[in-house]
Amino acid sequence: MQQLYSHSTDTEARAIGLHLRRPRHARPVLALLVILLLGLLLSACDSGNTNNTTGNTGTTTTTTGGQPTFPTTKPALRTPNFSSEQIAPTVKVLASVAPTLIVQFPLVPASSIKSAFPNATATVTVMQGNPEISVFDTVFVTVQHMPPNVKFTVFFTELSARPFGHAEYVGDVITRGDGTGDSVFHLIAFVAFAADNRSPTTSADQSGTASGIQLEHVGMWFDGVKSARQVLNNPSIAGTPFDGGNPPLHAGPQAMTDGQTLPVI
Amino acid sequence: MSFIHTLRRVLLSGPLLLALLLVASLQASAAPASPARVAAQQVASANAAPFNVQAEQLRQMVRAGKLAPTVHVLSSLPPTTIIQFPLVPSGIKAAFPNATGLVTIVRGNRDNSVFDTVTVDVQHMPPNITFTIFLIELANKPFGNVEYMADLTTRGDGSGETVFEAITLVAFAMDARNPGTSQDNREGATSGINLEHLGMWFSSLQDAQKVLNNDTLTGTIFDGGNPPLHAGPQAMTDGQTAPVF
Repeated sequence: MQQLYSHSTDTEARAIGLHLRRPRHARPVLALLVILLLGLLLSACDSGNTNNTTGNTGTTTTTTGGQPTFPTTKPALRTPNFSSEQIAPTVKVLASVAPTLIVQFPLVPASSIKSAFPNATATVTVMQGNPEISVFDTVFVTVQHMPPNVKFTVFFTELSARPFGHAEYVGDVITRGDGTGDSVFHLIAFVAFAADNRSPTTSADQSGTASGIQLEHVGMWFDGVKSARQVLNNPSIAGTPFDGGNPPLHAGPQAMTDGQTLPVI
Repeated sequence: MSFIHTLRRVLLSGPLLLALLLVASLQASAAPASPARVAAQQVASANAAPFNVQAEQLRQMVRAGKLAPTVHVLSSLPPTTIIQFPLVPSGIKAAFPNATGLVTIVRGNRDNSVFDTVTVDVQHMPPNITFTIFLIELANKPFGNVEYMADLTTRGDGSGETVFEAITLVAFAMDARNPGTSQDNREGATSGINLEHLGMWFSSLQDAQKVLNNDTLTGTIFDGGNPPLHAGPQAMTDGQTAPVF
């Protein structure tokens, strides 16, 4: 292909009367120039590598014989063990790289919104970096097909269903116009508990007996009874205590629940 | 003849000069109002922070004794609310008298925020120790109802910090079987029992016994997980009777 191209070029050159023949002494000079350029190119590549190695000195990257070595395979995954008696069947303990612990479980529509929003879904992801040294857990709540533009409160509760028992107000989720929404909270979740230090009690946790009353369920409530009445078109809905601030019982009914008897966190 | 000409010139040029002076003075007075004055006005208005109703209400509460006198309400831009208050040594006072703690709580917009952000900074604390942080009903014993929020592990120099994001300014404890109500100085009557104080505890009784060189210390409930009462004594407290948030 190259020869054909050269031939045609020569032919065309002759046709237009050009002289492509160079002086004999020019060929060695040209070859020398090409070799020189190649040499320069190679040395530039080498120096780039040298700089890279120098740049990595002092970092965690190890070197073998002057060449840096980086991991070439994925770290091993392991699934932390929980007995089926300890956690609800809806909880998925993800296979993750040690020492992380990541669990996921769904929330389903509670009786209040089930008929109006039967397709409402939510996923809760709770992540702990290193159980030995983590200073908090990270809780992600993602919802879909929920009542749009409504604020919901998120609580850790003792029981997933009524009467819910002890509860801790964690945060809020405000849905978008399309009924989706998400929130992220950073706080103690896996070992959350309620206690009155005047009369402390103990209860069973995945780790064994622990102080206080374990809060091992997650639920979402309408932040305002007014918005619940409007969304659910039911003026007789009564207020609940599942929001902070004035006045008492200004929150609405439960909207989403993990619906489990066994703990989800 | 020349005198008359000169007089006419003076008479004619006088009003002309007056008009020129008038125009010049008008321009002079108008000129600074254009670029320089406008810029100065813009800078002045930018420096004057908009009035923050929430912050002012909290300041009034501090003045009225409804919030602890140790609480600073920062001059933040509306709709943000930022408060700061110190923590002082309690259980570690004898061994670490210079220990200090500073709590900063930031809330974005009261209507739209989905959590508060709490930063706890400490210094001159026992080094390399994990402390638990609780929201509590009472700053001092018996502490009342409590919520476990996060941990803080100090560095080798006794300093440390942690940030957690959760409902704080309207935190409350309740048993939904019998939620009850309580008085929140900022909000009025609310559901449950308001948690308006913050304290730090040794997460491990053994650590506390070692650090404080006291084998007689007893376990407390102030850490999660097994076994019960494995936490140590309170290390830092806001020390206030009136709420700090």
